[in-house]
Amino acid sequence: MSDRMGAEIDGVQTKIWRWASSNAIWVVLALLFAIAALLSDAFLRPVYIFNVVRQAAPVGIAAIGVTLVMILGGVDLSVGAVISLTAVLTAVLMDGQVANIPLAVTVALAAGACIGGINGTLIAYNRISPFILTLGMAVVVTGMTQIYSGGTARGIVSPGFREFFNYRIGGIVPVLALTFLGLALLGVRLQQTTKFCRNLYLIGSNPQAAELSGLPVKRITIFAYALSGLMGAMAGIALLARSGVSSTFAGRGLEFDVLAAVILGGTTFQGGRGGIGGTIAAVFVLLIAFNLVNIVGLDYNAQLIVKGAIIIIASSAYIYFKKVR
Amino acid sequence: MLLEIKGLTKRFPGVLALEGVDFTAEAGEVHALVGANGAGKSTLMNLLSGVFRPTEGEIAIDGKSVQLSSPGVAVSCGVSTVYQEFSSIPQLTVAQNIFLGREPCGKSGILSHKKMCADARAILDKYNLGLDETSLVEELSVANLQLVEIARALSVESRILILDEPTAVLSLPEQENLFRIIEQLKQQGMLILYVSHRMEEIFSISDRVTVLRDGRKIDTVRTADISPADIIRMMIGHDIIQSSGLAAAAGGEPILEVKFKDSRRGFKVIKGEILGVAGLVGAGRTRLARKLIGLEGNDEMDIILHGKKVNPGSPQDAIQHGIVYLTENRKYDGLFANLSVLKNTTASALERFSSFGFLQQKNEREAGTEILDRLHLVASSVDVPINELSGGNQQKAIFGRALLCNPSVLICDEPTRGVDVGAKEEIYQLLVGLAEQGVAIIFISSEMKELFAAAHRLLVLHEGDIVEDLPTDQLTEEKVLQAATGTLN
Repeated sequence: MSDRMGAEIDGVQTKIWRWASSNAIWVVLALLFAIAALLSDAFLRPVYIFNVVRQAAPVGIAAIGVTLVMILGGVDLSVGAVISLTAVLTAVLMDGQVANIPLAVTVALAAGACIGGINGTLIAYNRISPFILTLGMAVVVTGMTQIYSGGTARGIVSPGFREFFNYRIGGIVPVLALTFLGLALLGVRLQQTTKFCRNLYLIGSNPQAAELSGLPVKRITIFAYALSGLMGAMAGIALLARSGVSSTFAGRGLEFDVLAAVILGGTTFQGGRGGIGGTIAAVFVLLIAFNLVNIVGLDYNAQLIVKGAIIIIASSAYIYFKKVR
Repeated sequence: MLLEIKGLTKRFPGVLALEGVDFTAEAGEVHALVGANGAGKSTLMNLLSGVFRPTEGEIAIDGKSVQLSSPGVAVSCGVSTVYQEFSSIPQLTVAQNIFLGREPCGKSGILSHKKMCADARAILDKYNLGLDETSLVEELSVANLQLVEIARALSVESRILILDEPTAVLSLPEQENLFRIIEQLKQQGMLILYVSHRMEEIFSISDRVTVLRDGRKIDTVRTADISPADIIRMMIGHDIIQSSGLAAAAGGEPILEVKFKDSRRGFKVIKGEILGVAGLVGAGRTRLARKLIGLEGNDEMDIILHGKKVNPGSPQDAIQHGIVYLTENRKYDGLFANLSVLKNTTASALERFSSFGFLQQKNEREAGTEILDRLHLVASSVDVPINELSGGNQQKAIFGRALLCNPSVLICDEPTRGVDVGAKEEIYQLLVGLAEQGVAIIFISSEMKELFAAAHRLLVLHEGDIVEDLPTDQLTEEKVLQAATGTLN
């Protein structure tokens, strides 16, 4: 009885806080977009907006996978290296022939999933810190990429590959942007409806309780990291489709953009909370912020400072929210 | 009088842990503090060592009233404590640990390693502790670790030394060494407060014994004037309920049978029976439960369910066999604290609510809500985070999680811990009801009263062994406590 009354007295307030702490990123996105539109009318032109979406695709797709791993209470720092590897792998296997596209894409996706699966297996069975393990894996994969490519951008993208992904439906929406949005929506939907995603939240919330409750902790861990690797590979292919050039360092540093977006979106290192929706919003927040800095006329290095500052401020704000509650 | 305590009371929200305890002890005395689980020994100890502050009452040392407002203040008043869990730092040397936080410095503020080692050596020699001050603590045995803790206590010129269950981790020769040291400290005029529930030790080293029960002091007596049986009687109180237990379930078929391979006693749980498991803290009750569900290795036993050996390899395996464990530590490995009540309830049964990997959320919600209603869980909605509920309601949600697995054996470890009186009563009724429906129940508890009220049979553990296994109506609290303290003849 006392519970029921207590819950009703502070119900409204807690509801507001709960809503604010889980949706704050959307508020920030709306505010930032309004500011951007005031500063530059480019932000009101659909073509430009979808350009931003297309620009966001590689980081955004990778961030979907990393979000899953972080809900589980882990992290995946190897995703940048996986992007580099799979971009190079796809380009080299394509070798300028249209007929090679299916093979190239399949091998790249398999490689990504495989690297993720190894991450997951080692974490599930050896209890290595995911931070250290995936960092080490990033170094290994970077080395493999260099050896495989001989250190130069030697792949040739098949004709039609770039053109397909950059084709603007109705003259406005690039296929790549649409693919990214489709994956994001699919992710949000599956996150609410699948047993796998429920298990992610349960394990991330309390791994000991999850084990005691009989959840398949190891299997879920392996599968989550494999998915993160797979999404990393898709991001690599997306990056190749966007730029058309298979630099051996294409994905270098992207893991930090990915991590920044995931954390800013409310999926913290704590595990068991957050979700793909917040991550996607955060990807756009970061991207719009950088574009704004660009438009205002600051150079790349100044952009870095803004990027770091946003991450720090957002994380502090999150802690503050938690304390107030 | 070295130590004088008057009217000491400690109130926690909802619990009176210590109530008006008066107590005196002299220099050069070994004074034992005894009591069953929850009698208030730990609270008294924590008040003396400055961990808790008293709600009421006074502590005087050498006739001067003192406010032991923090562990640091307690130490400077001459009260040192050696806890069961050691606090030394493994990577440092014995000398560094002894002077942790009080390292001797030269005038310039730079540590004087030489002086520290010399001072440490002096202490170790003075009390014959037989340790090398330069060895690394991580390389020491548990017994020597304890000696480091004692040396640290002695290095601050303590006059009162509190030892909390000091022999729990020691072998027999190590115990004798410890007793020799205690004897020496006593000769030098130190007061030793010896917290223990092991009768043999109390009778071999203590001069006087103070018995606590339900937060109150029962009596202080000279050890020489009393027998172990007297102490046990004081620990349970004079209102011993003779054979108030339930009659054993009438000859049902055994659901669970456990046989130890090295011919130690095994046990059975019969259909419709509640098997109570009693024992003091550290007797191995939780460990037994963890073995039954495969969370710890169970090679030394055969776990036979419905006549078939199962020996689960993991909790997942155990749940599939129908053996479900309810943790004693909800916060640590029970609750998914930030997730909703519903998600907490259905966590173990997601298989039932999904097809092709997709959750059938309507089914899940219906089944979860139904079980929670049956358990009379009170919450504004099943969608609020579970950490917003009271302890009793959290426990009900976890019960719901177990029940959704359709258990044939339900192991409840301290299911009424941190739960208010009303919810406790509901939990007992629930257990009885489940037993009637044919679920075999293993009910681990530290509260003798609830074991006698709800269990048909009692298993008593002492240092990991089963020392008693009888229908409750053939047992008394006295007998159980004797078995649990290892003084049963």
